[in-house]
Amino acid sequence: MGVLKRKICLLGTFAVGKTSLVQRFVNDRFSDKYLTTIGISVSKKLMPPVVCGETGDTAQHTFLIWDIAGLEKFDPVVMNYFRGASGALAIADLTRPETVDELAAIGNKFLSVNPKAALVTIGNKIDLMKDRTDTFSDYKRLAADFGSELILTSAKTGDRVEEAFQLLSQNIEMLHG
Amino acid sequence: MADPLNILLDHKGFGAIYFDGRLRVMETSPAAQQLLSMTPTQSPLALITDIFPELVGIEDDLQQILAKQESVYHLEYVNRSDKQGQTRYLNLLLLACNEKDRALLVLEDATQTALALQAANQQRYDMYLYRTSIDHRRSQIGHSILGRSSAIEQIIQTVQRLSHVPSATVLLMGETGTGKNLTARMIHESSMAADAPFVEINCAALPEQLIEAELFGYEKGAFTHAVSAKPGLLEAAHGGTLFLDEIGELPLNMQAKLLSTIESKTFRRLGSTLQREVDVRIIAATNRDLKTEIAAKTFREDLFYRLNVVSITLPPLRQLGEDIATIGEHFIELLNIQFKKKVKGFSPGARNVLLAHHWPGNVRELSNCIERAMIFIDGDEIDLPDLVLMTPAASAANAGHQPWTVPSTGIELEEVERSLILSALEQADNNKSKAARLLGLTRHTLRYRMEKHGLEPR
Repeated sequence: MGVLKRKICLLGTFAVGKTSLVQRFVNDRFSDKYLTTIGISVSKKLMPPVVCGETGDTAQHTFLIWDIAGLEKFDPVVMNYFRGASGALAIADLTRPETVDELAAIGNKFLSVNPKAALVTIGNKIDLMKDRTDTFSDYKRLAADFGSELILTSAKTGDRVEEAFQLLSQNIEMLHG
Repeated sequence: MADPLNILLDHKGFGAIYFDGRLRVMETSPAAQQLLSMTPTQSPLALITDIFPELVGIEDDLQQILAKQESVYHLEYVNRSDKQGQTRYLNLLLLACNEKDRALLVLEDATQTALALQAANQQRYDMYLYRTSIDHRRSQIGHSILGRSSAIEQIIQTVQRLSHVPSATVLLMGETGTGKNLTARMIHESSMAADAPFVEINCAALPEQLIEAELFGYEKGAFTHAVSAKPGLLEAAHGGTLFLDEIGELPLNMQAKLLSTIESKTFRRLGSTLQREVDVRIIAATNRDLKTEIAAKTFREDLFYRLNVVSITLPPLRQLGEDIATIGEHFIELLNIQFKKKVKGFSPGARNVLLAHHWPGNVRELSNCIERAMIFIDGDEIDLPDLVLMTPAASAANAGHQPWTVPSTGIELEEVERSLILSALEQADNNKSKAARLLGLTRHTLRYRMEKHGLEPR
């Protein structure tokens, strides 16, 4: 079983928690201080093996996780950030509903560059949501538009962060394996 | 003669890395080595994708550049951290070369521009988040206080109304541990800007001589040890909230000065003649019955009415019924994270005991009780033996009541039991489940004892 390098992009507008999710997943760290990202920062993480749906074989990925600055424009340089990605986590902030619309625009641009990429939609900062009756319908609708699952995560507590990346690994194997 | 392109790149301080069709690095310029903190021996035969994982996934593009079908590929602000944790930002430009099967990666140090851009973006985004976060905090008011009982709903509604009146003075009343501090913070956060100060002073924690200096500040030389001037907590709270906890403990002379400050919105530091203006919302809290204190002449009536513009009485935990379990489950969630455990909740037996307990220490006692259980628990459910509760006698003593004692003339135990059952039924409006909880019994046991005393359930 070889280990395949896979480029993964984190998509979403500023301050939705992209850097915090990478920090939690790769280094098991979290900081409350918000520091805006400039450009791109790539982190590596060896993923646990996943089982291919059709053959039952196992495969393993090394994720090259692209933490991309919150995008406000889509010039050719930005589109270069997306090229060659096998998948993406599309991240919106549960405390700022407007980040859903912004994510829709970014996610569609990403899919226009990588039509066969796997996507997992994330509603981040669930630790700040006290209302357990909230249905997150806008977030679910966007996930459905992307043809992906919606996972509610907290980079602060680590809640469901690993699960989101593992699901992406599984989806990539199903699409590209 | 040296290649003019290399001379130009070197002159501009740009790094250059040449690689071949198998993506092996062929040549690295000294400037590139410096930008990447490489030693020359590290580079030969390394893959360009090992040095720049940013190029993984675009191998087809690289081959096209090598085949000169496509001339450039550009990446901006690629982050590179050195061993000291300093981040350097690089712009990358991939170019086709005149030489066959060879391409050039140009590196530009863009750190200065990136840092300037980061500072500008940080300021812009912080401002935006500052403006939008208040909407979220207001929307969450109803969920910061846990529970769905009518008493809790009423508190939430009052706090929501207060969020639109950031100047109204508020008096919070209730037993110790009922959440007066939390409520004060909620009122503050829901009505003030994100960076507005919330300054808290516990009037019982400071000796009488210190309170005035702490609250109003002092000038240099105001008293023996006042070697320099110091602003007080009132000034620190300017533009925000001053939370005066245990206001019932404030000395009478300070009560007069506080009243004057609230009414005039001005004050003087100790040792100063200068009248200073201050804009603060006052939230006061007490577990005392201030009307009794007024009657005893230990609390000023005029201050009471000035503070009591809006009053909220926080109910004791024992009156919250099912909310006790909801609050307990919230503590389990928090402690699961802290202790890395996966406790799901309470067993039915433990739940019944929690609902029936008197909770003289209110939420603080519940929190401690669950924390203790979570420290020692191995399973995934808190059961009866995991709960350590104060005995009824200790509870009663803690609640300010006398422990039960038998008078020297003796008692009829059966009659006492009958009276207590009647009292519980009366308090519970004849609801047997509630009455059973008040007595620490199951509904079945209560029915049995009612039958025993001829109190046939209707």
